[in-house]
Amino acid sequence: MWRRVGNWYREWEDEQLAVLAQPELAAQVKPGYRRFFADRIARMGPLQRQQMREFSLKYRGTRFYVIVLKLMLAFSLCGVALHFTGANRGWIGPILFANTIGFSFVLAMVGAWFDYQRILQKKGRMVLTLAALLVLGLVLGLGTSLWKSGSAPSSVLVRVPNMMAGVAVGVLAIAVPVLIISFLRNRQAEAINAHLQQQAEQDRLARELAESQLRLLRAQIEPHFLFNTLGAVQQLAQHGAPRAAELTANLIDFLRSSMRDMRCEQVSLATEFALVESYLKVMQVRMGERLRYTLALPPALEAVKLPSMLLLTLAENAIKHGIEPSLRGGEVNLSARLEDGSVRIRVEDSGVGMSTTPGAGTGLDNVRSRLVLAFGAAAGLALQDGEPTGLVADITIPQATTA
Amino acid sequence: MTMTTILVAEDEPLMRERLLEMLAQCWPEAEVVQVAENGNDAWDGFLEHEPDVAFLDIRMPGLSGLEVAERIGKLAHVVFVTAYDQYAVDAFDAGAVDYLLKPVQPDRLERAVGRLREKLSPAAVSAPPADLGHLLHHLKSALPGMRPERIKWLKANVGRQIRLIDVEDVLFFQSDTKYTRVKLRDSEALVRTPLKDLLSGLDPDRFWQIHRGIVVNAGAIAAAERVDAERLQVLLRDCDEKLPVSRTFAYLFRD
Repeated sequence: MWRRVGNWYREWEDEQLAVLAQPELAAQVKPGYRRFFADRIARMGPLQRQQMREFSLKYRGTRFYVIVLKLMLAFSLCGVALHFTGANRGWIGPILFANTIGFSFVLAMVGAWFDYQRILQKKGRMVLTLAALLVLGLVLGLGTSLWKSGSAPSSVLVRVPNMMAGVAVGVLAIAVPVLIISFLRNRQAEAINAHLQQQAEQDRLARELAESQLRLLRAQIEPHFLFNTLGAVQQLAQHGAPRAAELTANLIDFLRSSMRDMRCEQVSLATEFALVESYLKVMQVRMGERLRYTLALPPALEAVKLPSMLLLTLAENAIKHGIEPSLRGGEVNLSARLEDGSVRIRVEDSGVGMSTTPGAGTGLDNVRSRLVLAFGAAAGLALQDGEPTGLVADITIPQATTA
Repeated sequence: MTMTTILVAEDEPLMRERLLEMLAQCWPEAEVVQVAENGNDAWDGFLEHEPDVAFLDIRMPGLSGLEVAERIGKLAHVVFVTAYDQYAVDAFDAGAVDYLLKPVQPDRLERAVGRLREKLSPAAVSAPPADLGHLLHHLKSALPGMRPERIKWLKANVGRQIRLIDVEDVLFFQSDTKYTRVKLRDSEALVRTPLKDLLSGLDPDRFWQIHRGIVVNAGAIAAAERVDAERLQVLLRDCDEKLPVSRTFAYLFRD
């Protein structure tokens, strides 16, 4: 018989573990008490299910029986103690009483420990159910004692007020710890959830950053840039022109600093301006008269920090979507100044402008999100048409971050 | 035997210089008749000189190399010069279009020149250059950033006013040195852009180039008539002017 009970319990436990791992399995459990519990498990939150599953796995098999035995022993000792506190109660009564109360209490606590969300949502109903059960027990108890002793109802009824007080104490004794545990557990769960969410957000940002770095790397080694530049170097070198060495030096400079900056989250304006300059120098040799450029960075703003590679992205866009497609070529101007307590960095070109350049938005969303990530909503990127042609891109950085 | 004539179109000066030097070395008997820095000049120069071979950079200001090739059609042999990566270049291989990867290396150029010499040899004269129309259409959709921007409105100075002209209303465009004469149903205007630079913004299916200096709205054409054994002219619906069709574009009106 014990074996059958053991098997039944193990089977049920396996079923519950399966539902804990995959709540959608609850629908396959055959109707009855098992289905009732399975459905309850399926309604729990994912975090609670996971906690309960870990707990169940930990106290599976022999450990469960050992715990039950230990608890039984402890409660029985309480029963023995109870036996000595009053007269003529016998042995069986107090021990049974202590075990019943004890296990009910433990079950309630375990329930509260894992199903705290539901308990907190339906605390009123829980207290009422508890009270109703206790009153029912009381009435049944009174009924049996009346029936057994055969004494006058009045002698028993006198004790009713006392008993009502007992019921109230019982309700409180269970409800209060259950609520406290639920409350604490819920707070803990909220903290864990918040932490998990924060971690997910951080992971997402890290992924985004890695992706943008990869995109930049790809942009630098894209065939058009690298092969055309190497072709220019080759042509200059063939004639022994000193400009070949100069162009190579600029290309090395550009590749080295872009790879270095790519690894940094933030760089100074001076560093970023130098990077853009090495890029523009390379492009200037390649494009000849079609490209002119200026860079103007006031010394006071040299140390201002900003996310790396932003200005380079804008300068690349200016060349690729502004100057290169333009029949007459044009100018790229980079400048920075203080304005209304903010640092404003401007990349303007006199190329073909916004409307005629398909794909000009490439990289701009990335620039925007990295600015907002670094400085909050006070930072931003604004685009406007140049006068008479071209595109003006303004980056605004709040000055508080310049300190 | 006449000398082979070549057009070279490349927007970067050093790459242009390099290609020209290498061509002079490995194809000394050919003559470069036109060097263009952008697609618009390339097409205009092509119409002027009608070379046998065109080396076209794909990414250029104005008309792209693909668009120039599309217009050249069967009139010359085209070799593309490109920095596109292998993936995009696979599309060329499939269509047997000749191409050179940038930076162009001498051995590759020699091979391409060898093939061109074969195609141009007297024995092969009966075989005209391949028509790349279908393939170019496919390439244009396959390569990034190759969808041209069309002009919708033209701005023309008329006295002290600036008039906005809907491109659709234009009967024809006529080149007038640095300006372009724009003929409408009831009036005309001058636009401050040369015709060769307007071309890249016009839909070639709707606006037909019939002469180096004339682009006509196909919807405005009433008929084409023969002037003599060689020459054709176009008659318009709402206009008395008769427009000459050059020999190059006579195929548009052949059935």
